[in-house]
Amino acid sequence: MDNRNILVIGAGVAGINASLSLADSGRKVYLVEQTSYTGGTVIKFEKVFSNLECATCMVAPKQQELLTKENIELFTITEVLKVEGSLGNFVVKVKKRARYVDLKACIGCSACFEPCPVSVKNEFEEGLSERKAIYIPCPGALPNVPAIDTENCVRFNGKDCKLCEEACMFEAIDFEQKDEEIELKVGAIVVATGFSSLDPKEIPKYGYRKFSDVYSALEFERMFASNGPTTGEIKLRNGESPKSVAIVHCVGREEKGYCSTICCMNSLKFVHYLKEKLPDVKISEFCSDLCIPGKSYEKFYEQTKTMGVDIIRFDDIAVKEEEKGMSVKYKIDDKGGSLPVDMVILSPALEPRKDASKLAKILGISQDEHGFFAEKHSEIASVETSREGIFIVGCAQDPKDIQDSVAQSEAAVGKILSLGG
Amino acid sequence: MEEKIGVYVCECGPNIADNVDIDRVMKTISSLPDVDVVERHKLLCSENGKKFLKESIQKHGLTRIVVAACSPKQHEVTFMKVCEEAGINPYFFQLTNIREQCAWIITDKELATERAIRYIRAALRRIPFHKALVKKEIETNPDVLVIGGGIAGMEASLLLASGDRKIHLVEKTDVLGGKVKELDKLLPRMESSLDIISQRIQEVKQSEDIKLYTNSEVEEVLGFLGNFVVKVKTGENKELELRVGAIVVATGFSMLNLKQLPRYGYGQYDNVYTALEFERMNIDGKILRKDGKPPKSIGIIHCVGREERGYCSGVCCMYCLKFANYIKSKLPDANVTEFYQDLSIPGKARQKFYEDTKAKGVNFIRSNEVEVMDKVIKYKTEEGEEKTSSVDMVILAPAIEPSGDTAKLAEMLRISQGDGGFFQEEHPKLAPVSTSMEGIFIAGCSQGPKNIPESIVQAQAVAGRILSSLIPGKKLEPEIKTSEISEALCIGCQTCLEVCTYGAIYFDEMKRVSVVNEVLCRGCGNCVGSCPSGAASVKHSTTTQLHQEVVEALR
Repeated sequence: MDNRNILVIGAGVAGINASLSLADSGRKVYLVEQTSYTGGTVIKFEKVFSNLECATCMVAPKQQELLTKENIELFTITEVLKVEGSLGNFVVKVKKRARYVDLKACIGCSACFEPCPVSVKNEFEEGLSERKAIYIPCPGALPNVPAIDTENCVRFNGKDCKLCEEACMFEAIDFEQKDEEIELKVGAIVVATGFSSLDPKEIPKYGYRKFSDVYSALEFERMFASNGPTTGEIKLRNGESPKSVAIVHCVGREEKGYCSTICCMNSLKFVHYLKEKLPDVKISEFCSDLCIPGKSYEKFYEQTKTMGVDIIRFDDIAVKEEEKGMSVKYKIDDKGGSLPVDMVILSPALEPRKDASKLAKILGISQDEHGFFAEKHSEIASVETSREGIFIVGCAQDPKDIQDSVAQSEAAVGKILSLGG
Repeated sequence: MEEKIGVYVCECGPNIADNVDIDRVMKTISSLPDVDVVERHKLLCSENGKKFLKESIQKHGLTRIVVAACSPKQHEVTFMKVCEEAGINPYFFQLTNIREQCAWIITDKELATERAIRYIRAALRRIPFHKALVKKEIETNPDVLVIGGGIAGMEASLLLASGDRKIHLVEKTDVLGGKVKELDKLLPRMESSLDIISQRIQEVKQSEDIKLYTNSEVEEVLGFLGNFVVKVKTGENKELELRVGAIVVATGFSMLNLKQLPRYGYGQYDNVYTALEFERMNIDGKILRKDGKPPKSIGIIHCVGREERGYCSGVCCMYCLKFANYIKSKLPDANVTEFYQDLSIPGKARQKFYEDTKAKGVNFIRSNEVEVMDKVIKYKTEEGEEKTSSVDMVILAPAIEPSGDTAKLAEMLRISQGDGGFFQEEHPKLAPVSTSMEGIFIAGCSQGPKNIPESIVQAQAVAGRILSSLIPGKKLEPEIKTSEISEALCIGCQTCLEVCTYGAIYFDEMKRVSVVNEVLCRGCGNCVGSCPSGAASVKHSTTTQLHQEVVEALR
């Protein structure tokens, strides 16, 4: 390859992994991340299935390594604008947005948060808590440096507020920072932009946002997280602990037309979460077909079953209003039932990121019928794309678990390094 | 030699200074004997702070450094670099955490200050026992041994082979292609399997950098990452010695032996076939009963042996759907029924294949109990009702198992077997293709049941791991903080060999002592905990160092 440098788009677990391996091989890596932090979706999890390892503890050493690695240049709050050229000679234009906090000077002490007069919903916490306009999305985020959200910061909306600047002992706040357009020259590109979760509101029968105690899987994940908005306490909106919980699989499967691969295992994991905090809670898992492939997952399922959970199969399901609270109504064949519950956790389909088609156009690669980036050949070339030199890994290509995402990220590294140069 | 010890206290802006009385810390530490220099700084990790630290070390000619600041996770590496730049060994340095473990968690300033002093004293007590550790480099061989010439082994070989990296591909049978060669069509586009695999076989055979050994088996593996010595018995009955830097295990899988499960009638009734036998029938072009006539009603049974094996083989649902397509395209009027437990059709493309198959008039019956009788399938419905279905052909989808030589290879390679008896990966999430033995990788179904794209991805991933870590002409830098076993103290009990996950300890039969291979050791300390004679210790966390530190911290 003429140019040995590599661009990696997305600093989730797949993108981080690819970057570290490429840097180990001596390549210069530009890692471009849309948000202000690294770690992607995985760091929202408290634990991962099936070994129930702490997710942040698992990923943090990799995130830390990323920040100290000589060959990796990390661009946060950055998006790709334009890609020209071909394998060995791509010219990429990226827009790096100002963080307004100096990455070198800031030590992450968080003294600037308190005086900030703004309070908005924290997206990282799925809106379950508030954050300031200068913020780090959650304790432990890396880089441990806040960013100013100019959309909500009063200073960037006409007021002469500099409370954060005054609170900072290290002169790290810099309102003069400007957005920059940067040109990167690379030989190959790895796309690791991850997935979005289907918004369950799109399917009214699940009662999401109609009933206050119907949660999405990621909301429940943050509720259970020890660094999350309730510091791990599982409670209803009225502050009480739930006595009965329904976990509903396959939310949106029919509408999307595919099985999202990871929800069965993730939903079974929630049984462990619930039983750990609320040993007496009654749990029902509503599933269609259980998808637990591979050597290790069925063992987890069998173990979960012994913890006290009803596994109920359904063809059709809805969350309905009751005189007191809500109930899950389900049908299988001609039979069915109704189960009153305090809390419902929905496992929504994984879908392509909202900006996938925009990025596909910029990269000049195709998408499949569902909008995921299309691989060159589903059986024998799943990390390659229609454009030579551009590789897709992780959930940007197809819904998959962490192991398979990491394997694909290494596979892209294998393909790139085998080209030589 | 008399050590010259310096202590540097970081205020971390207000983070430490607000809650720890730095003046008192300075005064107390300065009054201690053996401390030569005590300094404070507003922010030691800043450029200015690092410069100050470096110059101060040099000015005072210090030989041991204690920094009281933040968590070692934050800045241990930063300050070790400063020590190196100042000309002293970075392991003559100790970082003690008075921020996260002190200033940030203790609200009472008095108490926090006392605690900070205690931590610094503990660090001071251990630092005279520090030893200089120096990076090592070892020469490596970039060549790779690949065991198994199936789709995964070939993919890895093709990606790894280059002018400066030779591949030795060892295949047990007389042909390349593995199980994929035994399939008629590939999902979901129903392409000819043979076309795809033949192309790969051709590429492997034509590669000048791949040396192929068919009818050959690996007999012995010695050595370690970068320097393995492998004995191979070749087809011509010759014994070869190969030298390689890494090993890829891509030995595939076996199908569960159906004789173990008599309730499926295999070998007992006519026209009961295994999945691979049915593939063969389709490669040959015709679906026929034993009497030479086409079948009229076919039952396809999923999950054969799932319960016994304790896992879902992941691929059977999809190929059973493929079988229905085989039948419907050759015998449109045949009645096809799939007996399944749970349909496992994950991912963006498979459900459509299922729906298309269903639309062709294929029946689906969910049942956890299926039995094959003569021309009849007996099954229990979900409601517990017993029913029968007449068939004149049955196709069974047996569980995928580790291939027969897995245990033998695991022992030879010193890697472990995990769930289901498959080779155990180093980490189930972050390291799916490496093993506890550095330099030995697993790919494809030898690691666990998986489909073709996943096997190929793993093979490519192995290539990624090897290409990024074993670079021709580049030396390896092994872990510095390894364990060491004192020859004088070792009693030769070999307990450490049992507990070492990384195969890093061997037994010197002549001297009757255990010896650590520093290239493989990752300093986990298992051997230290288990050693009854106190002979094992991990460098930079020696028992003496820890003991001194703990004694002072608890005083």
